[in-house]
Amino acid sequence: MAIKSYDVAIIGAGIVGTMTAFMIGKYKIKCAVLEAGIDVASGTTRANSAIIHAGYDAHEGSLKAKLNVRGSRLVGPIAKQLGVHYNKCGSLVIGYNEKDLEHLRLLLVRGKKNGVRGLEIIEQDRLREMEPNVSKDAKYALYAPSAGIVCPYDLAYAVSENSATNGVDYYFEYKVDKIDYNEVNKLYTISANDKTIKAKYVVNAAGLYSDEIAEILGDKLPFKIIPRRGEYMLLDKSEGKTANHTLFVTPSEKGKGILVSPTVDGNIIVGPNANVVESKADTGVTSEGLSEIAEGARSIVPDINLDAIITTFAGVRATPTSGDFYIRESEKFPKFVHAAGIESPGLAASPAIAEYIVNILRNSGLKFKEKEDYITTRTAEGNCKLFYDMSESEREKAIKKDPRYGKMVCRCEMVTEGDIVNAIRRPISAHTVDMVKRRTRAGMGRCQGGYCRAKVAEIIAKELNISVSEVKKFSSNSNILCGRTKRI
Amino acid sequence: MMKKKLVIIGSGPSGIVCALNVYKSGIKAEDILIIEREDELGGTLNLCIHQGFGKNELTGTEMASELSALVKKNNIPYLVGTTVISITKEKIITAVSPTLGYTKIQADAIVLATGCRERSRGGLSIGGTRPAGIASAGTVQRFVNIEGYLPGKKTVIIGSTDIALIIARRLSLEGGQVLFVCDTRAKPQAHKTDISECLDYFGTPLKLRTTVTRIFGKERVEAIEIADLDKDGKLIKGTKQKIECDSLVYSCGFLPEIELMQEVGIEIKKLTHGPKTDKRLETNVDGIFACGNARIIHDDVEDVMADGKRAGKGVSDYLWFLNKRDRIREEER
Ligand SMILES: Cc1cc2nc3c(=O)[nH]c(=O)nc-3n(C[C@H](O)[C@H](O)[C@H](O)COP(=O)(O)OP(=O)(O)OC[C@H]3O[C@@H](n4cnc5c(N)ncnc54)[C@H](O)[C@@H]3O)c2cc1C
Ligand SMILES: Cc1cc2nc3c(=O)[nH]c(=O)nc-3n(C[C@H](O)[C@H](O)[C@H](O)COP(=O)(O)OP(=O)(O)OC[C@H]3O[C@@H](n4cnc5c(N)ncnc54)[C@H](O)[C@@H]3O)c2cc1C
Repeated sequence: MAIKSYDVAIIGAGIVGTMTAFMIGKYKIKCAVLEAGIDVASGTTRANSAIIHAGYDAHEGSLKAKLNVRGSRLVGPIAKQLGVHYNKCGSLVIGYNEKDLEHLRLLLVRGKKNGVRGLEIIEQDRLREMEPNVSKDAKYALYAPSAGIVCPYDLAYAVSENSATNGVDYYFEYKVDKIDYNEVNKLYTISANDKTIKAKYVVNAAGLYSDEIAEILGDKLPFKIIPRRGEYMLLDKSEGKTANHTLFVTPSEKGKGILVSPTVDGNIIVGPNANVVESKADTGVTSEGLSEIAEGARSIVPDINLDAIITTFAGVRATPTSGDFYIRESEKFPKFVHAAGIESPGLAASPAIAEYIVNILRNSGLKFKEKEDYITTRTAEGNCKLFYDMSESEREKAIKKDPRYGKMVCRCEMVTEGDIVNAIRRPISAHTVDMVKRRTRAGMGRCQGGYCRAKVAEIIAKELNISVSEVKKFSSNSNILCGRTKRI
Repeated sequence: MMKKKLVIIGSGPSGIVCALNVYKSGIKAEDILIIEREDELGGTLNLCIHQGFGKNELTGTEMASELSALVKKNNIPYLVGTTVISITKEKIITAVSPTLGYTKIQADAIVLATGCRERSRGGLSIGGTRPAGIASAGTVQRFVNIEGYLPGKKTVIIGSTDIALIIARRLSLEGGQVLFVCDTRAKPQAHKTDISECLDYFGTPLKLRTTVTRIFGKERVEAIEIADLDKDGKLIKGTKQKIECDSLVYSCGFLPEIELMQEVGIEIKKLTHGPKTDKRLETNVDGIFACGNARIIHDDVEDVMADGKRAGKGVSDYLWFLNKRDRIREEER
C-alpha cells in the first residue's frame, strides 16, 4: 500500500494535539493526528481538575501566563460553537489568616499584570453569602469571575470531531516509535510498529511523553519531565450544592493545593494531591492519597459529605523542571515543533497554545488558505446534542425521527439508545464501553454502570456486528467478558 | 393528554401487588395504568433465575410471570418499554418510549414502585488501577443469566450480601472459579443457609474481616491485594497478600431509586436514603405514594409485596376521598 503523505502530522490526541488539529482543519492543509491510545484524550486530558483558570497563578512574563489568559477567553466561544458544557462559574482562593491575605494580594497584583479581568479580594460576609458551606475560619478570598469549568474530554472530543469532519485523519493505536528526516526531500517518516506515514511538518504534542518523542527524533529537550500524580474523588449529584464556585486554598510551595469544585454535569470534584510517581502511566489511586484529599476538602468545606463518593481516579502532570511551557521549533530539525511541559493550566490555555503552534508553522513556511466548505459543527448534521440536554420539543422531534431516542438505557444520567448509537456512528466512532461512557455519560452516574453496562455492550455489539464478548472496555485486550457460560 | 386516576411507576412485585389491590377495592381497571421501563412486567424478579421467591419457593422469573398474568387477566392497562422521566406536584407524568414518543399523562394519584439500584463501588476506595473485569453483582447477573457470558474465569467477590452469594453460586455452576468471597465485616450479611448452599457446597471460602486494598492490571484485572482487619477495622500489618485473579465482582448493597422523587420535592430520609412516608405510604407531596424497594430496601420479596398492598390500600382510600369530595362539590353547585 502506498504510504500516505501529509502536510502536517500531530503526535498525540490530547487537548493540545486536538485543538491544533481543530485550528488547522479550517484550512486547506492535509493533516493527520497520530495517537498511541484507542481514543482521543487517552492521557492527561482525561483526568484533571477541569478548571479554566483565570490566569493569576503563572508568573508575569511567562509563556504560561500569556497563553492561560488568552486561552481562557477562547474556550467559551469554542464551547458554544461545538456544544460543549462550559460554565463560567468563577473561582475563589480562600485565605484563613493575615499571611494568606498577603499571598492573595500578591496573586491579585500578578493577575492584573497578566491581564486577568474582574479580580477582587472579598471578605468573610460576602464569601459566606456566595459559599454558605465554606469553613467558618475562612476570612478572605480572591474572587476571579472569569474562571470557569468545562468537561475536558468532551472539549477534546468536540474539537477532534469537528476536525475529522473537516478532513483531518485520525490514527489510533499508533504509538510513534521511529521518526526519520530525509534532508533531500525534506519529509519526515513517522512510524509505529508496522505502520508509516510521511509529513512535511510535525507537531510533538505527546504530553508526558514529549521528551521521548524528542529523543526518538534525535533531539533533546532542555529540561526533564517529572510525572506528578494527582488523585480525585467524585461526589454524587445529590451533593451538587456543596460549592457554587471552584474553591481553592491559598497555594503553598507544593502547588495550587486541593480544591472543591462543581463540575459541568452537576457533580462535585475533590482533589488533587501532588506526588511524584515512578511511572508516567501510574494513574492508580491509593488509600493514603484519598485520605489526604479528604482531609484537604474538609479544611475548605467541613461538612462535605464524602460518603457520597461515586468514583475515584487519578491523572499525571507532565511537570517540566524549567517551570514553563516549551513551545518552539526544534533547533536541529526544521519544521518540527515541540509542545512540551504542558502542565496545568494546559487545558485552559489549549486554544491559545494551538494558535501559538499555528503561528510557528506559518512562520516556517506552511501556507494557510481557508476552506470554502468548512463545517462549523461537530458533524455535518450538527453538534450531536444528547437527549438529556434537549428541550421538550427537541426531545419530541428526536423520538419521532429515531424511536431509539425513546429507549432509556442509563437511568442515572438519562441516556437513550439513540444517544449511544449516535456516538458509535460519529466520525471518530465510540466503539468501546468507555468511549461510549465518556461521550454520552452512560454509566457515569450514581450506580456507575451497574445497571446499563450490559445494555451498552449489547448496543455496541449490535451496531458493530460483533458478539458481546468481543466488546472492549477501553483497549484491545480489555474485553469486558471472557467466554460463554456452560448452558449455551 | 391521557388522563388516569392512578399511575403506578414500576412493575416489580410491589407495583403489581399495589395495582391488584387498587383494582380489588373497586377502582375500574381502565382508570389504572402501570408504566414499566423494561420490555416485560415483573421488575428485578426477571433477573433472578434462582429459587426462593414467595411461599412456594418459585424462581424469580416464575413469580414474575405469575404476577404479570394477573395484571393481564384483570385487564389492567400497562405500558412496557416506557420510561418516566419526570413527575410534577400537579401529578403530570412525562414518559418516553420508542412507540409512544414523548408523552404526558395527567393522574389523580401516583405510586412510585421504582425499586432500587446498586450502590457503586466508589465508596470502597480501593487503590490501584481500574482495568476491565470489575463489575457489580447486578451487571454480572444480567450478563450471566440473560446473555450467557462469564465475567471471568477466576473471580473474587467483595461483599457477603445475598446477591453476592447467589452470584458466587451461579459462577461456580457456570464453569467459573470463585477464589473466595470477602467482607470487611466480622459477620456475613447473608443468612447461614445461603452460605452453606452457595459457598460451602462448592468449597468456596468466605473471608471475613478482609479488605481489598489494591487492584493490579493495565487492561484486564491481573491480581488484587488483600489484607486482614482487626476488631476496629484497622489493617493488620504484615497481612497483605497478592492474589492472582482475572475479575472482581462487588456487591455493596442497594439504594432506593429516588431520581423522580428529588425533583418533585419529596423529602428523603438520611437513614434509609428513601422517601419519608406516612402510615398509608403517602409522601409529603399530596397524592404521591411510594412502596417496595423504592421506599426502603427490603430483604424478602414477601415484605415487598406487603408494602405494595399497603400502598394499594392507602391510594384507594385517597382516590375514594377525592371522588367523594368532587361529588359533594358538584352537588353544591
Ligand atoms: C492532576 C491534574 C490536574 C490538572 N488540572 C488542570 C486544570 O484544572 N486546568 C487546566 O487548565 N489544566 C489542568 N491540568 C493540566 C492539563 O490536564 C494538561 O495540561 C493537558 O491535559 C495536557 O494536554 P496534552 O495534550 O499536552 O497531553 P495529553 O492529554 O497527555 O495528550 C498527549 C497524548 O499523546 C499521546 N502519546 C504519547 N506518546 C505517544 C506516542 N509515542 N505516539 C503517539 N501518541 C503518543 C498520549 O497517548 C496522549 O493521548 C491538570 C493536570 C493534572 C494531571
Ligand atoms: C440478585 C437478587 C436476588 C434476590 N433474591 C431474592 C430471593 O431469593 N428471595 C426474595 O424474596 N427476594 C429476592 N430478591 C429481592 C426481590 O427481587 C426484590 O426485593 C423485589 O423484586 C423488589 O420489588 P420492587 O417492586 O420494590 O422493585 P423492582 O422489582 O426492582 O421493580 C421496579 C420496577 O420499576 C421500573 N422502573 C423504575 N423506574 C422507572 C421509571 N422511571 N419509569 C418506568 N419504570 C421504572 C424498573 O424497571 C423495575 O422493573 C433478590 C433481588 C436480587 C437483585
